[in-house]
Amino acid sequence: MTETLHYRLPWQSSSVYPGAHPGQMIGAGQLFKRHEPLIASPDPRRIDLRASVLDPFSSYRVRVYQQQSTVNVYVLADMSASMGYADKQQTLIRFLLAAANSAFDYGDKFGFIGCTERIEHRWLLPACRHMGSVSALTKQLERLSFSGSANGLQNAAAYLPAERSLVFLLSDCHFPLPQLRAVLGSLQGHDVIPLVLWNQHEYAALPNWGLISFQDMENNATRMLFMRPALRQKIMDAYRQRQHDLKHIFRAFGSEPLFITEGYSTQTINRYLQQRAV
Amino acid sequence: MMSLAVDTPWALTGLLLALLPLFNNGMRSSPAPWLTLIPGDTLSVFIVCCLRLCGVAAIAGLVLGMAGLHRTEQSRERIGHGAHIVLLLDRSSSMDDTFAGRAPNGSDESKATAARRLLTDFVKQRQNDLIGVAEYSTSPLFVMPLTENKNAVQAAIAATATPALGFTHVSKGLGMALSFFQQQPVTGSRIVLLVSDGAAAIDHDSEQKLRFWFKQQQVRLYWIFLRTANSPGIFDQPEDSRDDNAGAMPELYLHQFFLGLGSPYQAYEAESPDALKQAIADINQLENLPMHYVERIPKQDLSAACYSVAAFLLLVLLGVKFCEVER
Repeated sequence: MTETLHYRLPWQSSSVYPGAHPGQMIGAGQLFKRHEPLIASPDPRRIDLRASVLDPFSSYRVRVYQQQSTVNVYVLADMSASMGYADKQQTLIRFLLAAANSAFDYGDKFGFIGCTERIEHRWLLPACRHMGSVSALTKQLERLSFSGSANGLQNAAAYLPAERSLVFLLSDCHFPLPQLRAVLGSLQGHDVIPLVLWNQHEYAALPNWGLISFQDMENNATRMLFMRPALRQKIMDAYRQRQHDLKHIFRAFGSEPLFITEGYSTQTINRYLQQRAV
Repeated sequence: MMSLAVDTPWALTGLLLALLPLFNNGMRSSPAPWLTLIPGDTLSVFIVCCLRLCGVAAIAGLVLGMAGLHRTEQSRERIGHGAHIVLLLDRSSSMDDTFAGRAPNGSDESKATAARRLLTDFVKQRQNDLIGVAEYSTSPLFVMPLTENKNAVQAAIAATATPALGFTHVSKGLGMALSFFQQQPVTGSRIVLLVSDGAAAIDHDSEQKLRFWFKQQQVRLYWIFLRTANSPGIFDQPEDSRDDNAGAMPELYLHQFFLGLGSPYQAYEAESPDALKQAIADINQLENLPMHYVERIPKQDLSAACYSVAAFLLLVLLGVKFCEVER
């Protein structure tokens, strides 16, 4: 049950509280940061004699170390109807639990923002350290059947703290590309880790022949297709092209997306997070 | 020109049901996260349109079938070359003899059979004519009014195969033949084709009436006299002046009466089936004036066609249903 995501920050957190990530604060750490005058950091145990002798103004220099700081971890989840397809909802809940667990393990605060048509208060969890409220939220999420679109994502930035946070963006990105650009634009102040939840079943497991009637989960429009190998190939090509376009946009905003298509596993995400931190 | 009608008009309200396939494709739908991602497909759109039309047509066919769709009786104006012909056939018992005056055996056919055979051919050739059939023996027999239905005329001629009756009452037969032309527009030529093997005297009153009717109806008369061997012909002059009266030589006197009618008249004396054939060919050639007539087409029930179309479409839709896949 306790799966841990080993997320590392390739940037320095501005949080003042001691934690597990590289921060901008100086204090009790292992990593030498700089010299400071004794008057600025009055810790005689850390006086660097060699630096003090070499100082042209012959004042005492004190070594200061980088303090490991906390970071706020947010899961920004798309809760539109299309996220109810197949096992996407379970994946979302599993990831939510894993992320909350690991954030609490690291001593970080964890928050959740669920976006449907708009942002509803019952799907908001402000950054906290209470596993209880997280599990209450997941229980509610399990009972919910997703509906509507993901328009709320565009306003999600307003519910994030002003300082740079780690934001896991969980979505299937089944909305127009300009909307995705707007969402990513609004999240530029934060470190966004896009996780794109797709299910192979929706495009690779189509039949070769036959008539199939599709109903859109978000706007209920129906479309009947006469499936044949050529059309099946066309649909798969369309999904591949879509994946390419999404990657292009995410990279333009400085983040590499992770496409989760073949079932969720924490190991895949950990491998991706480690690559990212290198 | 089509004029359609139904037996039970209120059943047509069921046609509203035919709109159902436009709103519901009748298929179990599979959820799709985002349809916009699925590329458009012209063939699919075409097939879907066809299927919807099939559904609409199938329901409409069933409803129209239940309402009892039919085509009403129609009359069609036609112009052709031909004539109004009344075949006036002698049904006296002597018609059942051969031209030689004997009872028919294997080699010789009776006069009635020959007349029947040749008239059937004649009717077959005259496709544009209105033909009626009347018969006479002791009294006139109304058989078939003027009609363009050749099958009915053929059947009426074939019906003369039944054994004939006693006497020859030609004046009443002519009267009935002429009555066929009443209430008929005068187009083309009007012909009475009298086929007989004997004659009878016509009394004075009947003569007067026939003269008047022939003039009034503008009817041409053709008389095909089937002459039995050794019997007096229509052109024979009496050898003895004592025989020169209507009782002794009715054929000659009838011929003379017809000549004096004042309307076109032609007599043929046929002593064999070949001569009869020649006479009929002659008439066939002569009577081909342009004529204007109204053809009647009977009411035609279309509900069976509606049901079969609907059944076919339903089979198609059933087949399509088997092709359906669901995820």
